[in-house]
Amino acid sequence: MIQIRQTFAPLALTVLLVTGCAKPPTEQIEAAEKAIKEAQQSGAATYTAEEYAKLEGTLAALKKEVGDQDVKFALFRDYGKAEQLAASAKADGERVKTEAAKKKEEAKAAALQAQQVAQESVKSTLDLVAKAPVGKDRAALEAIKNDVDALKASLNQVQTALDKEDYPAAQTQAKAIHDKSQAVSTEIQNALAKVGKGKPSSSKKK
Amino acid sequence: MAYGQRNRANVTWSICAILLAGCVQAVPPDLVTAIDAIDHDLIALRAPEAAPEEYAHFVRQWVLLKTRVQSDDDLIRWPWESNDLEDELRRLHDEGGSTVARLNDRQAFQRRTAESKLVRLEERLQLIESQVESINGRIVLGEKPVQFDLLIKQARSFFEQKDYERSIQAAESASHTLLAQTAVLTRELGRYTEDKRITHWQTMAKQTVEWSRVHQSTAIVVSKADRVLTLYKNGRKVLSYPVRLGFNGIREKQFQGDGATPEGRYRVTAKRGQGQTQFYRALALDYPNAQDRRRFELAKKSGRIASAKSIGGQIEIHGVENELMAQTLGCVMLDNPHMEALYERVSPGTPVTIVGALTGQNSVALALAQLEDRKEET
Repeated sequence: MIQIRQTFAPLALTVLLVTGCAKPPTEQIEAAEKAIKEAQQSGAATYTAEEYAKLEGTLAALKKEVGDQDVKFALFRDYGKAEQLAASAKADGERVKTEAAKKKEEAKAAALQAQQVAQESVKSTLDLVAKAPVGKDRAALEAIKNDVDALKASLNQVQTALDKEDYPAAQTQAKAIHDKSQAVSTEIQNALAKVGKGKPSSSKKK
Repeated sequence: MAYGQRNRANVTWSICAILLAGCVQAVPPDLVTAIDAIDHDLIALRAPEAAPEEYAHFVRQWVLLKTRVQSDDDLIRWPWESNDLEDELRRLHDEGGSTVARLNDRQAFQRRTAESKLVRLEERLQLIESQVESINGRIVLGEKPVQFDLLIKQARSFFEQKDYERSIQAAESASHTLLAQTAVLTRELGRYTEDKRITHWQTMAKQTVEWSRVHQSTAIVVSKADRVLTLYKNGRKVLSYPVRLGFNGIREKQFQGDGATPEGRYRVTAKRGQGQTQFYRALALDYPNAQDRRRFELAKKSGRIASAKSIGGQIEIHGVENELMAQTLGCVMLDNPHMEALYERVSPGTPVTIVGALTGQNSVALALAQLEDRKEET
């Protein structure tokens, strides 16, 4: 009986030690990392920068916590805090992903709307230029044509910013184009008023 | 005896109460609140974009310490016990506070930089607009004024959104466009500042006046830069009137439809009175003359002018067709009373010399000098 006890006691202790050792929450950490990566891909670094920075902070804290536990003697390791951090990082990551995607969509919608307003504004300016008689007050009208050409070309820059998903730049560019287009329209109206109802000049060499 | 026991009990309770009162929380709540406030300040200062590394460090520490704060929340300690957590929180508070101060300074500096850049650019915009307007050179700049204007507007928008970094970027792009505008003006109109060219124009004008003197006849000299027509009779100035040129008149004429007013020696080929012209009287000129044709063919051969272009013609000195109209396509236009006075004094064959400028201090040269002088200001 004593012999049996002597044989099984170390074995039982070994089993106890092995099963008692805590393991890092690898799967939860991976899930947290995945959630943070997805948040980043949804534009969190731009549209919810502070939240994203906090996520990265949580991930760094999580890794440090795991590292701190890893260096401890096996029996004293406790990954409870790491599990908590991983769970919180995952939940926050998913929330930030949704929030960033929403804000990005809002910024995109605002930029697209500004682009549309700018396009309409440039179009109506172009229509006004087309109405202008090829009369004698050409200096103003020729300069205005240059301006409208420049506005048309600038609309391409808005599209480039949209393609790059730089919505704040696209929106400010579009707004600037709209404002300038309005100013040019006013200038055309003034030029037209100046030309009056005088009939267009006959075509001549010059 | 009973009194003594009661006294001892009281003393014991008092000591316990004093000891308990001396106990402090492991984490001072005010400190946690203060760090939270710093975090908010950092966010308001756009720290994640403005100082990403510093903010990431702050956040890492804050998340770690917050976890510890939560787990040590119920603990109390003696006042004399050392408290690592509090020390670390204080360190983070100090570090965060100094980051906030630094970012505040940086933001204030960026705001000042952006603002002064914008103000300088807007001043430059006004200057260039007025100078270009004064020499009727807006068309020379093509699309550049609009590009510049759009960039300034963008810079102003970013500034109002407190995005000073992007405001400065847009202002710098505007500044480059402005330099490009000055360069275009200098390239296109630089001939108005060239001594050799001005001497040549002066010689042309002198020869015309001399011809008038020698032939006891009338002659006309037009200076494009100063937009002045002068009539000479017997070598003496008889009258001088302001004129308007083509919509691109300040340039040298190259082809039909360019809106430029030609430079050279011409003659009045015909006088057109009422009913013979759409204008209020006109003096037809012999543009293009042989020299113009030679120049045009050379330019075509060298590729400076597209082969499909024509040389143009029917350049005149004329009055106004419609009083509301202010420009011509390349001719020289006078107000009707001035045109009438000129028309009466001029006959076919009268020489008409059109030059860029008659002095080095002409309006174009002065405008270019002003723009050049203030080029570095942006």
